[in-house]
Amino acid sequence: MIWLTWRQHRLEGLMTLGVLAVMGVFLLLSGRAMANSFQQLGLSHCLGQVPPNSPCPNLIMAFGTQYGVLQLFDILLIFLPLLLGALVGAPLVAREVEQHTHLLVWTQSITRSRWLTVKLVLVLGACLLASGALLAVLIWWYSPWVQLDGSFGTNAYDTSGPVWVAETLLALALGVLAGTLTRRVAPAIFLTIVLFLAIRVPVASFWRPNFEAPIILTTPIGQGNNNQSTLSSQDWVIAQGYIDAQGNKHDGYVGCTSNQTSVQCFQANGAQASFVSYQPADRFWTFQWIETGIYLGFSVLALCAVFWLVRHRLN
Amino acid sequence: MSNALETTRLSKRYGRTWALQDCTLSLPAGQVVALVGPNGAGKTTLLHLSVGLLEPTAGDVQVFGLSPRMQPKEALPRLGFVAQDTPLYKGFTVAELLTLGHKLNPSFDDGLSQARMQKLGIPLNRRAGKLSGGQQAQVALVLALAKRPDLLLLDEPLASLDPLARREFLRTLLDAVTETRLTVLLSSHIIGDLERVCDYLVILSASQVQLAGDMQEIAKTHKRLIGPRQDEAAVKSVHTVIEARHTDRQTTLLVRTNGPLFASSWEVQDVSLEDIVLAYLSQQTQDCLPAPPSARAQNGREVLK
Repeated sequence: MIWLTWRQHRLEGLMTLGVLAVMGVFLLLSGRAMANSFQQLGLSHCLGQVPPNSPCPNLIMAFGTQYGVLQLFDILLIFLPLLLGALVGAPLVAREVEQHTHLLVWTQSITRSRWLTVKLVLVLGACLLASGALLAVLIWWYSPWVQLDGSFGTNAYDTSGPVWVAETLLALALGVLAGTLTRRVAPAIFLTIVLFLAIRVPVASFWRPNFEAPIILTTPIGQGNNNQSTLSSQDWVIAQGYIDAQGNKHDGYVGCTSNQTSVQCFQANGAQASFVSYQPADRFWTFQWIETGIYLGFSVLALCAVFWLVRHRLN
Repeated sequence: MSNALETTRLSKRYGRTWALQDCTLSLPAGQVVALVGPNGAGKTTLLHLSVGLLEPTAGDVQVFGLSPRMQPKEALPRLGFVAQDTPLYKGFTVAELLTLGHKLNPSFDDGLSQARMQKLGIPLNRRAGKLSGGQQAQVALVLALAKRPDLLLLDEPLASLDPLARREFLRTLLDAVTETRLTVLLSSHIIGDLERVCDYLVILSASQVQLAGDMQEIAKTHKRLIGPRQDEAAVKSVHTVIEARHTDRQTTLLVRTNGPLFASSWEVQDVSLEDIVLAYLSQQTQDCLPAPPSARAQNGREVLK
């Protein structure tokens, strides 16, 4: 069975290795350039609080203009688990059923549970290893950005910890489930994308900011704006705005005309205080593990469904 | 265990249609069994239930006393199966397919598979997708045979083959049967090619078994009676009339005899197996097509009045 799994998936495996190798070379080259610039610009002195007249903001800006384009790369990265789920996960069962080869392999001397177990362990295992290896490179690659902006609440969040691997597992598990449900490769790929986004987007956009109650800092209007200064660049700001006389929070700031001072403007809108809600940097790992747990949970559910379907509903 | 396959009121439903209903059957070991029926009669369903690919909706199926669903570990090694249109991994070479057989079956006979391929002249390094249909069927058959099964099930193995390939395929099969005490169940929608190969016949139609028995016995007990036009009631009281045809002057009956025929007014003829099969299949369509049971019961009552 191990031989068969290798024989069936070796092409996918080699292609994945190829993609990883190309990405690895790109990451190593660009990562080294970024690390060098970071050192030459002396950005390590710009972390944390800086005196008012330091050149740091300009230096950071310079670094940003030079390498900001690389951050486009991580938009592609977000799709990588999905790509794996759609191209490796979805056909795993669907292609067998579509080409009727399941009739051949399920009537050999091994049970179909064993067939499925070996296939899933080997294929998912290899994919998770690959995603773990990529994660290690990505953590190193992102480190200049992470030191400047933090990895909490930025694009770097997904590629900074176990969430990345769990996301890969989720995409694969949903892919296999989609293939088992549709029994055809093309609809399975489509369903994989739908299922993955249906879980991933709400979790990341709506649930993640509230894994723990955010800390809220309020400052009465007219007492200066020292909210920002107590926050470090590693904290994740969820929302900021003002609180009106009834105690309601309003996101963002009200439109102020240029001849008003900000205090006048706030008062004209009935604002009593400004607030900022945020997740402190030390919650980063808690959040990573919570989200990892959520994706693992969904993955386990999906894989249990796959086992049940393969044993009782497929023929 | 003298029976290779035994089913008890075996039924399978897809949604609201019954693919197989109340199928009770026992196939003696060591026979070559033809499973004949029109397309959609439930042949594939019966075969898939027998190898554990399907779960019965009701009833029970056992191969050598084992349930293929509940005891797949014990049952699967004893079963060989060639599915309809002989699916193979098209990208695998013949050698790789044989490796597959070797890796997935503890009792796989490498010597046999190699020898057969050589004998058939199928190159081991050719990809399965590049083989002709007949060769693909042969490879699938050899894969199933080299597993050394006790029961081999073949789903419409001849349907997509040309006459020459059919002969070759059956020759490979018969070679194997004479070498080992293999029970074979092959399905087909026609009896033609199977008549010479098989010694047991099962007729399946409209998701039910119409007839099951030894081929020679069936040939012996079925007769065609031809006589002047008359009612078949007298014959019916002793024998089973499968088919009755009346013209203005003549009546032709196809009967299953339940004893000696005292047929002074009838001319008795032997019937070919093909005609017997056709008679059973058309009988079933007549029985089945008219109306649901409730309507039929009403009709019956009207007749009684």
